[in-house]
Amino acid sequence: MGRDEGPHAQVLMTAAEIAAHLLASCKSLRQFASYMFGSALSGIGQDIDILIVGPGGEALSQLKEEIQLASENLPLHVLYMQPSEARQTEFVTREKCVPLAQLASSAMP
Amino acid sequence: MRRHRPRNSIPETDGKHLLVNWQVKYALAVLAKAGGDSTAEQVEGDLIRVVTENQPDVLAAISPDVKIDIVTATRYRQQYPGLDFLCGYRANCVWKGDAIQYLEQNRVGWGNFGTLCSAALDGSANNASHKIYKFSDRLLRQYGRVEQVIREYDRVHRVFLKGGAVLRIGMIAEYEPTADAVRSLWEQFGPVDVAWNINPNGNPTPEAVDAGSELGCEVVKWDEMKDLMRRS
Repeated sequence: MGRDEGPHAQVLMTAAEIAAHLLASCKSLRQFASYMFGSALSGIGQDIDILIVGPGGEALSQLKEEIQLASENLPLHVLYMQPSEARQTEFVTREKCVPLAQLASSAMP
Repeated sequence: MRRHRPRNSIPETDGKHLLVNWQVKYALAVLAKAGGDSTAEQVEGDLIRVVTENQPDVLAAISPDVKIDIVTATRYRQQYPGLDFLCGYRANCVWKGDAIQYLEQNRVGWGNFGTLCSAALDGSANNASHKIYKFSDRLLRQYGRVEQVIREYDRVHRVFLKGGAVLRIGMIAEYEPTADAVRSLWEQFGPVDVAWNINPNGNPTPEAVDAGSELGCEVVKWDEMKDLMRRS
């Protein structure tokens, strides 16, 4: 972030701010591993790609509701994986996913 | 006198807030960052003008909606006469079949932001359709054993085969569809006979195939789809 991407980029949330916003808004994220990947990490992207790894069932339904509310004004594109799927596809490594907590800590003053 | 505003500039404020909706901000920012042959500016509300050298200007409405039905599509057309393209900005935006039919009949292109950018570049905005599903939609319609196709949603088709069988087919565009992608398709659109992974690269995860079995649908690629239609 921080590159000159035109006047609109300056009024959009940074990757770190988005991560902090999601962690603060979606309490259920504590039960999951959560990451950001793709173009949003290096500036403005068309979408904000998020990877969520964890259990299905009720916990996942709850998390989806929280994310829906938190993304009212954000173009989130969320991929949900079971832990076995994340391992098998090696998605985190392959797509250079960054944990939301790590991103959010860089937003701290 | 109309105030001059440079292209890709930020529109005026009311003194406190920018009078630009979030999805319009993203659309303008992404186009500005791309630095390609197209530039854009906000006209009013959700309406932007995309300008591309040697191509017609495109008036496009950038919608924040999660679902676009005929009511939404009609509202945008009435609000913005001269509309060339309706863009569902969210990646998870779903288009209902009646909205698609209405827009196509009225020569308004439709689809995601990527579709808009491509259409502006090649001057086809009024005839453009969602690029993620365009090729698969055509594949189905042109397949020899298919008698009729009813598009219920952008990604859900009811296919009448010449042998008399009817298949409800849901498309999954992900590179590697997960179990959640299959379950979400089922929950959001109702039962399907087939979950078709339309991305030519990658494959569904074993968990996705298992999820399909549990629900009662096959998770397939195009070659398996053809086999299934031959057998049905």
